[in-house]
Amino acid sequence: MAGLLTQIWARFALGVVMTVLFCLSDVCAQSSPADLSVRQVIAAAVSAPNSAEQRSLILSLKSRPTAEAVTWFDQWKGGSIFLYKDPAGGVTPVLLTGAAGPDGSLATLKLVDESPFLAADGTAIRINPKTIEAAETDSGLRKAMKEVSDLVALADPDLEKRIRAIQDSAIGQKPEKLPALLELRKTEKNPKAIRTLEESIAIIQLRSAKSEERLAACEILAKLKSLPAYDTIKAILAEAEKSKDLPMIAASKRALKAIDSHIARIDAAGTAFRGLSLGSVLLVVAIGLAITFGLMGIINMAHGEFIAVGAYTAYVIQNIFGSGLKLSPFGMSLSLPGMHLGDQGANLYFVVAIPASFLMAALVGILLERSVIQYLYKRPLESLLATWGISLVMQQILKFTFGSNNVQVSSPAWLSGNWTVNDIVFGWNRVFVIGFAILIILVTWLVLNKTSLGLLIRAVMQNRNMAACMGVRTERVNTMTFAFGCGLAGLAGAFLSQIGNVGPSMGQLYIVDSFMTVVVGGVGNIMGTVISALGIGIADQSLQQYLGNPVIGKILVLAAIILFLQWRPAGLFVTRSRSLD
Amino acid sequence: MTKQPFTGRLHTPLLIALAVILVVVIPLLNSLGIISNFTLGNWGKYLCYGILAISIDLLWGYTGLLCLGQALFFTLGGYMMGMHLMRMIGGDGVPTFLSMVGRTEWPSFFLPFSSFPFALLMMVVVPGMLAYVFGYLAFRSRIKGVYFSILTQALTYGAALLFFRNELLMGGNNGFTDFRTLLGFSLREDSTKRWLYIATALLLVLVVWGCKWLTHSRFGLIQRAIRDSENRVLFSGYATANFKLFIFVISAVIASLAGALFVPQVGIINPSEMDTSKSLEAVVWVALGGRGTIVGPVIGAISVNALKSWASVGATADFWPLMLGGAFVLVVLFMPKGMVGLPAQIQGYITRVSRNKSAAESPSSEPTPEATKP
Repeated sequence: MAGLLTQIWARFALGVVMTVLFCLSDVCAQSSPADLSVRQVIAAAVSAPNSAEQRSLILSLKSRPTAEAVTWFDQWKGGSIFLYKDPAGGVTPVLLTGAAGPDGSLATLKLVDESPFLAADGTAIRINPKTIEAAETDSGLRKAMKEVSDLVALADPDLEKRIRAIQDSAIGQKPEKLPALLELRKTEKNPKAIRTLEESIAIIQLRSAKSEERLAACEILAKLKSLPAYDTIKAILAEAEKSKDLPMIAASKRALKAIDSHIARIDAAGTAFRGLSLGSVLLVVAIGLAITFGLMGIINMAHGEFIAVGAYTAYVIQNIFGSGLKLSPFGMSLSLPGMHLGDQGANLYFVVAIPASFLMAALVGILLERSVIQYLYKRPLESLLATWGISLVMQQILKFTFGSNNVQVSSPAWLSGNWTVNDIVFGWNRVFVIGFAILIILVTWLVLNKTSLGLLIRAVMQNRNMAACMGVRTERVNTMTFAFGCGLAGLAGAFLSQIGNVGPSMGQLYIVDSFMTVVVGGVGNIMGTVISALGIGIADQSLQQYLGNPVIGKILVLAAIILFLQWRPAGLFVTRSRSLD
Repeated sequence: MTKQPFTGRLHTPLLIALAVILVVVIPLLNSLGIISNFTLGNWGKYLCYGILAISIDLLWGYTGLLCLGQALFFTLGGYMMGMHLMRMIGGDGVPTFLSMVGRTEWPSFFLPFSSFPFALLMMVVVPGMLAYVFGYLAFRSRIKGVYFSILTQALTYGAALLFFRNELLMGGNNGFTDFRTLLGFSLREDSTKRWLYIATALLLVLVVWGCKWLTHSRFGLIQRAIRDSENRVLFSGYATANFKLFIFVISAVIASLAGALFVPQVGIINPSEMDTSKSLEAVVWVALGGRGTIVGPVIGAISVNALKSWASVGATADFWPLMLGGAFVLVVLFMPKGMVGLPAQIQGYITRVSRNKSAAESPSSEPTPEATKP
């Protein structure tokens, strides 16, 4: 009933406008605007003698909202349309174009049909832009233009833009925007756009003069669980309470409750998602440690520095794909040439950086294993101390090479942006982290369980002497395992370069967390590491959300871990063994 | 139980002489103007670090528990002292760290710190209680080896995060500073500084003597037995958890007292002292000096810190972490007994080489044949 009335009213209003326009245009242009092309209408509007006439001509374009009109409006507002006044008193709207002549003049085109503007004698008229005045606009005109361009936006073929325009039209709850939305509602096919349309229409109708229309709108918004309407409904509730409008109070309270529970659900889902992605980061960071610490028993305090090595590798690759890099390690000057690949380089470098950072970290790992770690397999506490010394040295070398400030690693375009489902925002880079973590786990599992190298690794880790007796070259397997673990740390570094800072001491941020993850998961068990990483990640994010304080949340998680180890001292998954000491 | 190096007959007189030099001679020389106040102040700090190093060694060298949280206890003691010193500043209103968070009055837990005996008590009770609770939980569930190290590191990390918060009302980032008096003596006076140095040196001598007595008692025997094979001790009917708990609490209190003496000498305490790397650095001193001995850690702490104050200024500053890290790796690889154990190590090497020569074999190139787990 209400909708019908509005529609009738809209039709009527349009009819009146059209009639007025017909009369006006009969006077000035001898033809109705409906018969003219868009640019002809614009030309007529520009040269119309007074602003009332200009306005009505512009508004006549509301019946056929096209993108062309908007581009002309922009030109007009931008001062690119000029008015040529001929001696006889006639006014011609012209555009200036081409290269400037010796006197600074430009070639002219008539706005009406973009034909060259000729004088009576057939010669082209050239005009110096300084000597001619541009067509001006006033606030009334700009408002009229806005009305037309709003309509154009609503009719935009691009879904994203159309939806944004629909959302925008609800701002301010102006009833005059309603007819266009209702019109669009009839023709719109896309379900997402329909939902947004219903939302916007209802938001505007919240200010309707009829109470049943307001109540209906409130019901619709409650059903849609509309987030943009939340504040508006709150305002309506306050007003209704002031005017003691009981049914409205009840309806808006109902709507607010529905939206509140929806928000709670979104928050919970968002927290779970952030927790999952934080857990994935922990997992990516800790999986290398699960191998070097969990399987090999090496307390690699330099694990964080291997992460930094991976991150810096990504940085170097990015610069090689870009404009090169100048480094000055230890006073030497080293300049890496760049390939200047432009935007494509910026998007593709990461694909190369992932394997490169794995290889680089693995290489450094081999170096370290051969020079230091191989003497420490039987002394885990000492491996902790020696690797801490190494971490100091590596940090300092990174500082000498890349400077002590953080470096910029940019994200490729395909990692920025997000994806919204049911009002929950999923950042691409976070989705990517999760996918990447799954991939790494899969690869690690395959390497350990389905390859002959994995078989040897497990044999050596279970019983080094027995494996040696069976002819396994344990030294080589040790080196390979350590390199694999370090390579995984390097991968994590490439990855963290996308979501955090890259600096010489970046690894220190993750070292305590990753040890915690491995210890909670149970040493020597990859699956335990997966579960503990996700558990810690989700617990951390939920506590943060609940307490609104990241530090206290983190402290509570640490405390919870210490208590958890009371209950299960060997972590989630215990590797059972009959050996003692 | 291997014979400890340096435990000869000469040992006790030598130690007494050293104690006299530290406690009496150095302050005397300072009051005569031969040793500058700056040097004396530095030595006061080194001795505090030496006490901290002994507390680590008591756990690591004698009991086999590598605790990466000793800096936490050290800092806690420092904070207790800092709270007392803050109360002693006097003046109107509250210090900035309180007014910054909107407090116009001292929080109630600060008030009793006006009394020095109370503060002294807290220096023992707070770290001791923390160590007791944490140790009880950890040892009861038989957390040992690297797990203990990692957990103590996590504890320190969590505490540092907490102390960085302004809401804890412990000064946040900036901690406590700008102290004026201790027991009525101005901290800016040279004589007060000298007395602080003497107190530190005395404490060091006391701790060395106490630890020597403890480690040579029956208790120390069990302690080392736990280090070498905990399960055998357990099977012999000893409640190893209680022994470990006792030594953990003792070493926490020792570290705390060192921290309490450290704060009035340097004039500031803030949470960066709790950084995980500080604990590891203190472990370096112990490893360098020689763990499993009482004087080794002190020698390590003094020499590393003296080297640090020399190297971390000017052009060599950037290279200090390289030197420290590199030295650490070398010590772990080649000098498992540290500087104190070096003479014995060289002697052993020489006898082996000569034995090998007499057996007409080529000398072994193995660098650390004795480098096995203690």
